[in-house]
Amino acid sequence: MTSFDIGLITLGVMALLVLLGMLVPIALIACSFVGVWAIKGSPLLASKMLGLAANDAISSYFFGVVPLFVLMGFVVSESGMGRDAFDVANAAFRRIKGGLGIGTIAANTIFAAITGISIASAAVFTKIAVPELRRHGYTARFSVGLVAGSSVLGMLIPPSLLLILYGLLTEQSIGDLFVAGIGPGLLLAVLFGIGTIAMATFAPRFVGETLSQNDDAMTAAELLAKGLPITALITLVLGGIYGGFFTPVEAGAIGTVGALLIGGVKRTLSMRSLWRVLVETGLVTASVCFLIIAAQMYSRMLAFSGLPGSFGTLVTNAELGLIALVSLYCLVVILSGMILDSSSIMLILVPLMLPVLQPMGVDLIWFGIVTVIAIEIGLLTPPFGISVYVIKSTLDDATITLSDIFIGAAPFAAMMLICLATVIAFPALTTFML
Amino acid sequence: MTAKEAAGGGAGEPRLLRLLDALTQISNVIGTLLILGLVVLITTDVAGRNLFGAPISGVPEMVSLSIVAIVFLQAPQALKAGRMTRSDGVIDILHARFPSIARMLETAYDLTGIAVLSAILYAHWPMMVRSWVRDDFVGAVGDFTAPTWPIKAMLTTGSILLALQFGARIVRRALK
Repeated sequence: MTSFDIGLITLGVMALLVLLGMLVPIALIACSFVGVWAIKGSPLLASKMLGLAANDAISSYFFGVVPLFVLMGFVVSESGMGRDAFDVANAAFRRIKGGLGIGTIAANTIFAAITGISIASAAVFTKIAVPELRRHGYTARFSVGLVAGSSVLGMLIPPSLLLILYGLLTEQSIGDLFVAGIGPGLLLAVLFGIGTIAMATFAPRFVGETLSQNDDAMTAAELLAKGLPITALITLVLGGIYGGFFTPVEAGAIGTVGALLIGGVKRTLSMRSLWRVLVETGLVTASVCFLIIAAQMYSRMLAFSGLPGSFGTLVTNAELGLIALVSLYCLVVILSGMILDSSSIMLILVPLMLPVLQPMGVDLIWFGIVTVIAIEIGLLTPPFGISVYVIKSTLDDATITLSDIFIGAAPFAAMMLICLATVIAFPALTTFML
Repeated sequence: MTAKEAAGGGAGEPRLLRLLDALTQISNVIGTLLILGLVVLITTDVAGRNLFGAPISGVPEMVSLSIVAIVFLQAPQALKAGRMTRSDGVIDILHARFPSIARMLETAYDLTGIAVLSAILYAHWPMMVRSWVRDDFVGAVGDFTAPTWPIKAMLTTGSILLALQFGARIVRRALK
């Protein structure tokens, strides 16, 4: 058996174990261990590989970005700034048909610029937007679908945990990735907006037959009081990074402190909720980073097996062409989204593709954005989708079923597909600001 | 993993399991405090650098060391709380239709967890001892240095606790 065969078998077994419910990191580590053992014929060497990876894989300054941005996302969610974004956005769009829907999308877009995790957006806006939407005549399905769909913006508009992970994995600049995400993120927000108006006009049974206007007009002073803190925080974090005052890693810490100050002034943060959020951050960090360590072991195993190289030759010989290759890859990513969460998909598939893409001279920044959009589509499609589950558990309403949420999110998944195709066809969308 | 399973534990459990959970909790709190420490450290550094032209030395080194500690100290609690990533579609169906097969699979998974952690510990132990004996450090002499052995020791502690938590899952399943 050649190392290529061993690599292939290991990959197959790993997919099977993950599907059957073994913890993803354990499946990755176990298969890497057995794979390296089989290729090199030495269990000692295989365990050395594990030990080294456990020590080095995340021991870098840049990995500090993970807990810091997760913490910032949670503190921002606790501080009540989601509510403010929602109120301001609705004041702006209240005269349009489907205005509250647009307002929700706009609020998510703003909120996305201060958090990097879509589950935070999903949880916050389920609480704020869904009751409001339903009160104004939107159907339950559309309301939850809209929140599920627009929560995805959190992962595309900087800062974004997925883009950070991608940057760490492929050694691309996180700052560049953030800038590259802005264009497609705004495109997606606009698509969602147009889609909502179109659906409100042409498919009123899906959106809601009698949409009432939101008539609580805001005074200029109110608008300022609600809009200013968010604007200040966005300016602080993104301005600080691109103004050269601090690195993206440091931006996470500064943003956290900024959000803490705002929450303190608004009196929305208690010591107890702060501790809860800190512990939560630790658990998310541990599970994400443990997965990264496992994925490092897995990509070292892949390197030993020479699988990506042979895979690359295969692709070259098939004369697929870049567009076909990337489309095929997106299909695999979207399908993986049905069984896996976003970070696992990225950490498993990207190391496999990277050696194939590099000789083709592919722009890895563009490829990162494509990957993130494809992953997020997978998260909106049944049977499994983390955003949908978060919404379901936050909602705590037995009359809205999981399938209602998936049906409601379907049009938004379709719009994301359009966005994905556009980004693949016009890579300049991601690079024009770099 | 279900919420019920995650909430496991409680008064009726053997003392050893409760002790393990207490240790896991302590390690989790230390990890949480380290995250808080990172925020304070980095903010002070950025403020010092930009406002007073006085940066703190060794911040990148401290960040890169503590992130490893944070992850390994919190991983046991993440496992216990059911926060480790898994795809639970198929296994949930198995639990509903063929509970005995599902339990067997879960036990096999937990044993795999213990096995890989043992392999990691087996390779990591000599590295930890060496870093202690040789006084390995990171940073630059004269500016900032930090010994590496405390982090390596925390990696060991975390891995042992994690392996024991895998064992606890097996025990809890058997006790049910």
